[in-house]
Amino acid sequence: MKISKEKFGQSFDALAAEYQVIAPVSDAGSVSFKAVKKFSEVKQDYLNSKLPPKSFFFPQHEKLLSYKKEGKEVTVKNELKVEKTILFGIRPCDAKGFLLLDKVFKNDQYTDPYYFERRDNTIIVGVACNKIAPTCFCSSLGLSPASSVGSDIFLIDLGDSYQIEAISDNGKFLLGGFEGLEELSNEDQTLVDTIQSAETTSKVDVSTITAKLDKMFDSPYWDTLHEKCLSCNACSFSCPTCHCFDISEEVLKNEGSRVRTWDGCMAPLFTLHGSGHNPRDQKKSRWRQRMLHKFNYFVHNNGDIACVGCGRCIKNCPVNLDIRQAIDGVNKAELVVD
Amino acid sequence: MTSTIDELRKTARQLLTDGKVDVVIGYEKGSLPLKATPCFVRSPQDVDKLIWDETCENNLAAFVAKTSGKKAIIAKGCDSRALMVLLQENQLAREDLYIIGVSCQGVIDQRKIETETGEIIAASLADGKISVQGIECDKVFSFTEVKDITCQTCRYPNPVLEDVHIGGSIEVTEQATAFADVIDMENKSDSERKAYFKEQMSKCIRCYACRNVCPLCYCQECFVDCNSPKWLTGGVDSAENLMFQTGRALHLAGRCVECGACSRACPQGVDIRALSRKVNKDVKEMYNHESGLTEEVKPALNVYSADDPEAFLVKE
Amino acid sequence: MEQNPYIPITMKLIKNLCETEDKLVNTFTLEFLSKEDEENFKYMPGQFAELSAYGHGEAPFGIATSPTEPGIIKFSVAKVGCVSNALHLMEEGTMVGVRGPMGNYYPMETFKGKNLVIIGGGFAFTTLRSMAVYMLDEKHRADYGDITVIYGARNPGLLLYKEELAAWEANPNINLITTIDRPADGWNKHVGFIPTVVGEVAPSAVDTYAVVCGPPVMIKYTLPVLEKLGFTPEQIYTSLEMRMKCGLGICGRCNIGPKYVCKDGPVFSMAELKELPSEY
Repeated sequence: MKISKEKFGQSFDALAAEYQVIAPVSDAGSVSFKAVKKFSEVKQDYLNSKLPPKSFFFPQHEKLLSYKKEGKEVTVKNELKVEKTILFGIRPCDAKGFLLLDKVFKNDQYTDPYYFERRDNTIIVGVACNKIAPTCFCSSLGLSPASSVGSDIFLIDLGDSYQIEAISDNGKFLLGGFEGLEELSNEDQTLVDTIQSAETTSKVDVSTITAKLDKMFDSPYWDTLHEKCLSCNACSFSCPTCHCFDISEEVLKNEGSRVRTWDGCMAPLFTLHGSGHNPRDQKKSRWRQRMLHKFNYFVHNNGDIACVGCGRCIKNCPVNLDIRQAIDGVNKAELVVD
Repeated sequence: MTSTIDELRKTARQLLTDGKVDVVIGYEKGSLPLKATPCFVRSPQDVDKLIWDETCENNLAAFVAKTSGKKAIIAKGCDSRALMVLLQENQLAREDLYIIGVSCQGVIDQRKIETETGEIIAASLADGKISVQGIECDKVFSFTEVKDITCQTCRYPNPVLEDVHIGGSIEVTEQATAFADVIDMENKSDSERKAYFKEQMSKCIRCYACRNVCPLCYCQECFVDCNSPKWLTGGVDSAENLMFQTGRALHLAGRCVECGACSRACPQGVDIRALSRKVNKDVKEMYNHESGLTEEVKPALNVYSADDPEAFLVKE
Repeated sequence: MEQNPYIPITMKLIKNLCETEDKLVNTFTLEFLSKEDEENFKYMPGQFAELSAYGHGEAPFGIATSPTEPGIIKFSVAKVGCVSNALHLMEEGTMVGVRGPMGNYYPMETFKGKNLVIIGGGFAFTTLRSMAVYMLDEKHRADYGDITVIYGARNPGLLLYKEELAAWEANPNINLITTIDRPADGWNKHVGFIPTVVGEVAPSAVDTYAVVCGPPVMIKYTLPVLEKLGFTPEQIYTSLEMRMKCGLGICGRCNIGPKYVCKDGPVFSMAELKELPSEY
């Protein structure tokens, strides 16, 4: 089915009165996801946001609990208030990113209530990519620029209208409130077919990378991969699937809160023990950890590669350490036979 | 520039063949258009990877202390100043270092290009012109149009410390008022400045790319990582971020060589230079000091003399 | 919504005891505030909990008590940083937070019917105390064979749980061997590093499991001694330490290979460790 952008905008504006609606907007020369009240505020022609939208389920700074001390006593409170939300304009790579994060925040033993409270109260409206950047490589990771996996409603931009499809029950429910749905014309269908068959131009081969990495822990490949890395967290913070965090206290006199903040395995002090011992004090071991975690450990634990090919780490790395080159390097590395 | 590249590669090849150095730290072509990337050449046959042009934006001095053995480094003006400060602060041994000096025209600011063309698909550099094929549109720029803001007011394009010089030198033309950008900011009202920095600092995500790319930020434990006492919380609101940025700018007082690597490294486009430029202006005015120019003159805040100006401490 | 695993229960610090002569290790006894809290905190030897000193932070510590000691739990903590310092200075009666129990535990079912050799060094003895007390309890003692404990420290003042040790010396149900690194006045028991003493005591590997906890260098040199005595990697267990934050296998900090030490450990057999990367 399709809907004109005009009619879509009307339903959008009506929903914005009921839900918190987050959409891509122009932000100092690039694009960010921010709260909007009207469809007219939404940036129509964009590639993707600078930073991934994971912050809407996993904020960079989040209060886990607050407490107040009185003498030797303490009262502990946990208040998590979430609004029902619509995340609009999510690209296929980021929608898949959410599915991967779901596996982290709910494992075989524990469920993270903060992540899921937000997740369960959010509807995702995904939009296919009409333009493909040279840094995108989602097709190599089992996705495509028009993949609806992970979206509740999926749109394909046809110019002055959208092809619109409900993917999940939540999507069907929301779509029920939309008016002005019509059939696609033959022309529309041709455009849709073109967009749906598009692939990212940049390619990597991950078909054997997990098995290769099983045997590569002691490989000399890691000796040089890391050399130009600065050990900042630009890549981790730009990544839709990176999830490491720190927990700390913020205190003022007798009141305080326990907060969690984004952290990253690239930082030198990430694994520093209280005793002073640091198992990953070398950049070599940290880059090995990054590659192994994304392309091997995550596969063993969760059945999927923890990378969606969005290309943000490539664009944001200050020294242009390109993960695609790292993947190629792993594929080409000679195995050291005992 | 072609002959400069050939000379550069020849020098690197000779150094490695003769065993004078174990590694040559330079630039090679990056994986993105108009981007160079640091490279570590260890064998003579790999020297043809080395490039030298307006895309060579990293300050390679950041890698020297972390690389073991004897190293040669390709240093532009600002990079050589950073090396000077590192030597003055005993972070490097002069005998382990072979400085291949090159004079620098400045580097390209890709972000300026991308605001007009969208993400760059392909680009070529020739005769001061940059032809760009962008995802939104194609355009040809002159190099001066898209020169990095730091390079626009650079007064030290020629290395101040080197073992060999490749290529010609660059004459520094008469500049407009020094620190004009800082004076502009100083002339704003308090509330205008406050609003500006609040907006800039709200963009910061504390990835520390700026800190890590800086050759002079080398503390084993940065003040942001210290938790006894805990100087900063993990908060990423503009107040905490401003504390981090100003703290860092002050720790670099009298040391910052204004290479601009921090601002270029920032994935969020925060105006990090604004704070360092102000501190550098204050240091110049109070101590008549610019960092890393001569071996004898140590960083201004690292030495003490009885007649040091104290206007910021003592009410006269 | 299920119970929030990030929210601690409140417990009362009822005893803050300095364990070692160098004042670096204290043992904290915490009391459950309600029967319900205790019911919800069923634990086994080897597990740990995240202890909150409100206003300072939270850190993971092995539980030193056995579930056979009702109403309380104990932790022995070395003074190394923010949280441990705050705990050391804490007055008795102060309320603290506890999240747990977390992690896996020593495979007490697997150990049934077998002999146990418990080897500990320094203040890594905490969860080993838990296991020993569990097995010595009259409800469980008959389930296990011979119990040998080899426990060493640099000097006598640094041994933990001196009261327990004295009781175990007199207890025929357990064979206790304590050792110190160098001779000291008034010490008439073993002298020597743990690996050497293990070699001297030479416990039989037949129908026996060994559990080894201590500083990495101690484990490194003790393992070959055990192997020489005939212990297979499946017969040797250890408990690993890592920097942890969430304790839930979510924050990504404590992994060795694909395993999270907080959730898939901290107890591992040497056979399991051989499958994991040798470094981190």
